[in-house]
Formats: sequence, structure tokens, C-alpha cells
Amino acid sequence: MKKIWHKIPEQVKRLSVLLIVIVAVFIVANSLLTPKDFGLVGHYRAGSIQENADRELKYAGQEACADCHDDLWKLKNANYHKNLSCEVCHGPSINHTNDPDQFKPEIPRDRTFCVVCHEYNTSRPTGYPQIVSEAHNPRKICVTCHNPHNPTPPQAPKECSACHAEISSVKSVSSHMDIPCTKCHVTTEKHRLHPREFRPTKPVDREFCGQCHSQSAKADKFIPRINMVTHEPRYVCWQCHYPHLPEAQ
Amino acid sequence: MEELIQHLTPILKEVWGYIFPNEIELHWGILIVLYPYLTGLVAGAFILASLVKVFNVKELQPTYRLAMLTAMAFLIVAPLPLLGHLGHPEKSYEILITPNSASAMAMFGFVYAWYLMAVLCLEIWFEYRRDIILWAQKETGIKKWIHKIISLFSKDISEKAIHFDKKWVKIITIIGIPSAFLLHGYVGFIFGSIKANPWWSSVLMPIVFLFSAIVSGIAMVLILYMIITPIRGKELDIVCLDKLASYLFYAMIIDFSLEALDFIHRIYESEESINILAYLVSNKLFISLIVIQLFMGMLIPLAMISLIKIFKAPSDLKKMVYFISAILVQVGIFSTRWNIVIGGQLFSKSFRGLTVYKITFFGLEGFFASVVIFCLPFVLLYLLTKILPPWEEARNP
Repeated sequence: MKKIWHKIPEQVKRLSVLLIVIVAVFIVANSLLTPKDFGLVGHYRAGSIQENADRELKYAGQEACADCHDDLWKLKNANYHKNLSCEVCHGPSINHTNDPDQFKPEIPRDRTFCVVCHEYNTSRPTGYPQIVSEAHNPRKICVTCHNPHNPTPPQAPKECSACHAEISSVKSVSSHMDIPCTKCHVTTEKHRLHPREFRPTKPVDREFCGQCHSQSAKADKFIPRINMVTHEPRYVCWQCHYPHLPEAQ
Repeated sequence: MEELIQHLTPILKEVWGYIFPNEIELHWGILIVLYPYLTGLVAGAFILASLVKVFNVKELQPTYRLAMLTAMAFLIVAPLPLLGHLGHPEKSYEILITPNSASAMAMFGFVYAWYLMAVLCLEIWFEYRRDIILWAQKETGIKKWIHKIISLFSKDISEKAIHFDKKWVKIITIIGIPSAFLLHGYVGFIFGSIKANPWWSSVLMPIVFLFSAIVSGIAMVLILYMIITPIRGKELDIVCLDKLASYLFYAMIIDFSLEALDFIHRIYESEESINILAYLVSNKLFISLIVIQLFMGMLIPLAMISLIKIFKAPSDLKKMVYFISAILVQVGIFSTRWNIVIGGQLFSKSFRGLTVYKITFFGLEGFFASVVIFCLPFVLLYLLTKILPPWEEARNP
């Protein structure tokens, strides 16, 4: 044993001592600094679950609302706002559920509240109910005409632009401005009341555009014509031309 | 709130197209640009040092120890931008005591510790051991004790022990090359593995990072060697400079080819993000990518070095060209990091808009903080050269 010890070079012995010290310090530090409940249920302190559970509650949850206001709750759940929880509009209300007389939840009546979701914005999906608040009954508060628990519009929108404002504004400056929407989209009356269940049709083939743009079309002379046989026969028209603004490149 | 509005209002005016609300402000700023830049210099300087020991490039011997100390100085400072950015540096030990092997970022502590302890410290220790022992014998006072402690009170300077040291320097350098690749390849991996970001997500990212690191590391050692040597009143070794410039040139050719490959691959693939990325490159990143990174940082130095090599210029002109090229390369590589880190956050995930990065001057994430962090390695290098002089004349015969 002594012979082997002497054979080990001096620098290796010294480095080994240093290595042992580093490893020992790491092991001791690890055992002292790692929280005792770390890793019991996952890569975190198990105690943090309790710490989070102990935090003060602010929201009651819509089931608590339903206990007393089941008529409103059922009405909301049967209509367009069914995916919203009561406290989205009425604010955190655990105090109200604990002491209904002392604390009253918020009832937003301001015109600025509904437009947080319903102001016209290009990023919102088409068909989503949007208004330009400056032009939409500017002096009335929303709840005068719309029941927030059943927000179906009191009157079905007359114009397509009421919901499809972006398309409408683009089309209004295009060469297709005089073509009514229903020329290309067959739209049933039911679409006005139930826009997602009853969708309008869309053109499906090249011949649809060819009604005006083919060389044999019986349409005004100023309308651009193409040879339907030779003009990009493998594509449908709207792969290259945006029908609501056909002059766009 | 008022402060936030004041901060965001000028940015909002420069937003182009449509972006999501949480994309207005960049989360990774100049400190995160500095981090891959600094780690790149470490890896590059180490690879340069390894050329001497593993590949036996004798001409580079004058820069070997300087390169090792440069790598050390930059490695010690490398985590500071991260600590500054994350805040709570007092909690940083937690990634070591509760290792999370599923997180690339959380494993950084181990990659870093391995590289610092098992590679750099050990190699420097074996390389310097004999000199430290001899210095300690001649010195008095605090310096003697510093050297004694660093040598771990080692005394054996027999022929056999010195031979053992040399053998181990070589072995550690061989282990060190993949480790340096791991350290900087890992930084590239962090970006390359973010699949939600088309500017970053690329398997080539680690390897592109690595070669740009080698470029920047060689250029940095060249700059340091060319500044320090005249200050010390010594002559520059022109053979060594020629060799450094040659390796810089080769590394730049590989780096340029890899970046061009990445670029061509992206254009040929033409994924849905290509339009916004093309817009990003031709607008917000035009100066930093096309002008600084590509022309100033890559093509001009490449052209200058190749002209010098072709026309066999006089040595004074050579020195000037090498120095200017190395400075341009540094600016170019910093710009590369900028374009990756900042560029990757400038476009919206909707692929329909761009935001803008406004750098602040003060504060922990500001311009001055990053200047201080950038200067720190040079201060550290100065201290290291005082304790472990890398100069030829300091070596004991």
C-alpha cells in the first residue's frame, strides 16, 4: 500500500485533496441548502403548494354565483357569453359570496368596458361581433340595447359591414366596390342571427370569376379579361388575386 | 404605470405592422447579447491555446499562456450578464443544488463549472506549476504566499514531475477541445432549440456559434498581444502574428461558409416566416447585419488579410492590417450576437409586424452596465498577468 502511495505523483496527491475538499463542500452545502421537501412531488418544494393555497382568495368562481343567481347563470350559459365567467365582468367577488349585504360586486355600465372585447380590431377573427364605438350609438350605454347575459343583438344587422368591417372597408376602395357581397357569397337569412352555424358560401372554381373576366363574358368592356385556358390553368383565381381588393399585388 | 407608459409610447410609434401586445418590449436586452459574446471569446481563446499543445503549432507559443489567461478572465465574467439580467444573484446557487436535467438553461451551471474547474484551472495549474514553485522560492511577503497557495504547496520540480505536468497539459487540452465546443455549442443550442422562433430555430446554430466564437477568440488574443507587447517595450513576433492571422482567416472562411449555408437553406426552405424575416433583414437589421456583420466584420477583414498574404506586404503594413482586421472582426462578432439575440425578438409571432429595441443608458440592464461588464475581463486579465505572468522572460530557465 505504502509503495502505491509513493508511486502516485506529488501533484496528483495535492489535486486529489483539493478535489475531495470541493466534493465534500458540495455535498455538505447540498444537504444543508436543499429544502427538505424538495422533489417530494416534483422538481419544486412540496411546501410551495401549501404556500400558494394559503394565499388570500379573491375570486369566488362561477359555481358560487350559481348558488344564488341561478336564473342569470342559466341565461348566460345558454347564450354567446357562455364561455365567460361571471367575475370577468363583475370583478373578483369572494367578499360578496362571504357577506352578500356588505360587499356588492361591480356592475360595469361604462361604454369603455364592453369595447375591451368588442371594439373593431383587425386582429380579431372575422365574424366576431365588433363595433366602431365612436360611430355605434355614441351616447347610449351598451346595456340599454344589449342584455349582457344574452347579448344577441336586439335587431339582426342589416349590412354585412356590421360584422365584417375590415373586408367591407377594403372592398369599398377596390374595383369590386359596386358588387354586392351576396353576388359571390350565397347568404341565408339565418346567418344574420346565427353567424357560425349558418355560414355563407364561397366561390369554388375559376369559372365563377370567369363569368366577368373570361374573354367570352358578357360584361362591361372595361373589366379586365383573361384567357381562361392559358392564364395559370393550375391555380384558382384567389391564390393570386384577393377578391376584396383585386388590384393588390 | 406612468413610467411604463412613458417608456412604451416612443416604442409604439416605431412598431410596424401588427404585433401582439406582449411583443412591444424586448425581454432579452444588451446583457443577453453580451453573454454569448463573452463565452464565445472564452471558447475561441481556448481553441487557439490548444493549437499550440495538441496540434503543435510552435509559432503560436508566444500567445499560448496569454490565450489561457484571456479565456480564464472572460470565463469568470461570462455569467455576470446573466446574473445581472435575472436579478437575485444570491439565488444562483440553486441551479447547482437542485439540478434539472430537463432544462438546458438550468444545466448551464454544470457546463460552466466543468469548463472552469476541470479544464481551465487544471490546465493553467499544470502549465504554471513549475514556474509558480520557482517564483515562490525567490519571492517574499504576500506574493510568495499567493504563489504557494496557488501551487497547493507543491514542491516537486524533478524532471519526472515536469514531464508528468507536460503530459497532463496535453491530455487536458484534448479533453478541453470538446469541452470548449460544449460550452459555446451549448449557448448556440439554447437559441437553436427554441422551435417557436424561426430566426433562432436551426440545428446549425450551435456550430455557427462555435466557429464565430473561434473567430472572435483568435481576434481578441491577436488584439491583446499587439497592444500588450509594445506597452511592455518588446518586439512583436511577426511569425506568430502571421500564423494568428492565418488561423483567423481559415476560421472566418468556415464561419462565413456556415452562415451562408444557413442563409441559403432558409431561403430555399422558404417557410411561412420567410417574408417577415426578409423584411427584418432589409429594414431593422440592415445596418447591424448587412453593413456591420457581413461587410465590416467579415468581407473587409477577409479581403484585407488575403491581399496582405498575396502581395507579401512589409511587416509594418501587415501589423496595421492585422490589427484593424481583428478590431473589425470583434465589432462584427458582437454584431452577430446582437442580430441573433435582438433580431430574434424584433418580429411578431404573428409574422405580420416588427417592433423596435430601445436601449436604456442607466440601470442594471442598460448600456453603462454592459460597458462595465465588458471592461471587467480586461481588469481581471491585468490582475491575472500580475499573479501568473504569461511572458517568455518570466519563465524560469
